[in-house]
Amino acid sequence: MIVVQNLIDAISLGSVYALAALGIGLIFSIMRLINFAHGELIMVGGFVIYALAGNPMLVMALSAIIVVTILALGMERLAFRPLRKASPPTLLIASFAVSYFVQHVILMIFGSRPMGVDFLSVLGESFEFAGLRVPRLQCIAIVVTLALMVGLVVFFRASRIGVQMRAAAEDFTMARLLGVKADRVIAVAFALSGILASFVSLYLVAQTGTVSYKMGVNMVLIAFVASVIGGMGSLTGAALGGFIVGIVSVSLQAYLPEELRPYRDAFVFLLFIAFLLWRPQGLLVRRASERV
Amino acid sequence: MLAIEKLQVNYGSITALRGVDITVAKGEIVAVIGPNGAGKSTLLLTIAGVVKAKAGSVKFDSRPILGLAPEKLAASGLALVPEGRHIFGSLSVAENIALGATPRSDRDGIAADTDKVLGMFPVLRDRYRQRAGNLSGGEQQMLAIGRALLSRPKLLLLDEPSLGLAPLIVKQVYDAIYALREQGLTVLVVEQSVNRALNAADRAYVMSGGAIAMVGRSSELQGTAEFDAAYFGAGQRDPGRSPA
Repeated sequence: MIVVQNLIDAISLGSVYALAALGIGLIFSIMRLINFAHGELIMVGGFVIYALAGNPMLVMALSAIIVVTILALGMERLAFRPLRKASPPTLLIASFAVSYFVQHVILMIFGSRPMGVDFLSVLGESFEFAGLRVPRLQCIAIVVTLALMVGLVVFFRASRIGVQMRAAAEDFTMARLLGVKADRVIAVAFALSGILASFVSLYLVAQTGTVSYKMGVNMVLIAFVASVIGGMGSLTGAALGGFIVGIVSVSLQAYLPEELRPYRDAFVFLLFIAFLLWRPQGLLVRRASERV
Repeated sequence: MLAIEKLQVNYGSITALRGVDITVAKGEIVAVIGPNGAGKSTLLLTIAGVVKAKAGSVKFDSRPILGLAPEKLAASGLALVPEGRHIFGSLSVAENIALGATPRSDRDGIAADTDKVLGMFPVLRDRYRQRAGNLSGGEQQMLAIGRALLSRPKLLLLDEPSLGLAPLIVKQVYDAIYALREQGLTVLVVEQSVNRALNAADRAYVMSGGAIAMVGRSSELQGTAEFDAAYFGAGQRDPGRSPA
């Protein structure tokens, strides 16, 4: 029974990591940018919920989704579009700059202390199912993640812009030669990454009940690790990586000797280093395609 | 249809094109031939908006187009089939073809043109739902050309369409190009395979070292000593032999 309980924990944590990793992977696959400012999208979503505390839950959630999506589009327009032709290291450093900028704006407005928010705390309660105690939030996290993933798959397969984005991810120049609008596919990618980030915000705030200007940092690091494990550039890989990191984290939490548990993350990253030595290109990465 | 004047392109400190002049009239098939490294691919990539020019002008339908983005040019009726084909290997054949119609929104017209392309290259119909990456080289070339046609281009730029293909496939590809000309398409084709290009084209430009060395009607160029000198460089080859 304890094994099943741990498995539920692992899958729900993994599904949130997968959402965060998909946001990172989506932007990377289109424009070879590792967007560390993705964590700040998650963080700002948290602060939108904090600022709207007391309003109906749906208003808080929808506002977070809308504001974060607009912020993602703004980052692209103001910071990353002018650098579109820059090298990946330049883009990476620009994403750190955006990340610190957003963090410090929030720091200036709200201060550095973590603050409590009452958001969906009713979901913290558990229900009994076949002898298992399942927190509602975990169940909802799994269901919402799966729904978002199915939505993404349908979007990428069935919509014209989705197919254009897959083409652009494989060979951006060729896609443009066929008339695919570079500005549009990149903007849509950022909007999608914003939506994914805002759902991570909802989960984090509901689960921890606090917001802080640093709350996105750890998540973006884990999301980055997850997308590297899956293979940078592969969205399926990013999602898979998220679940793997979730399962490993929960397993370490459950099965490490008690005195080592506080250092769980050290073991997670140790395993990550070992993984990279074994398979540096990630689990699902395709051969890099030649570009025009 | 296309007028190129004094086009100059640099890659860093290397000059890839040094003042190229080319004109292509409506309905013409014009070939640009020349040895590897002559700047032929650079020429096409510059026309299509992928490579930035340093100086000169390119007019398409009497409009200056240098500096326009590739997607803008695609929407205005210019299509490039680049060297190496660049099909989207992880996408299906159907998706690749559909992407060719990106600038269009007339559903019925797109469906009719898709059918036409599948009629032209029946093997693509057989493999319509398969991953394009699983196609053979020849099938990928057909897909690349078919995809380009879906934008209903006025001008088709073809870079080495016969490269690495079996002779039978090359014939099939060129038969398709002739058929397209009958329908009024204008084609600028770059080739290393001299005979193939001269047989197909109305006129040809011989390029060497980033400049136009010679121009003429295909029938006049073939087998002349001047042509050999322009193509191979003076004195590098017995002028009595025709180029392979």
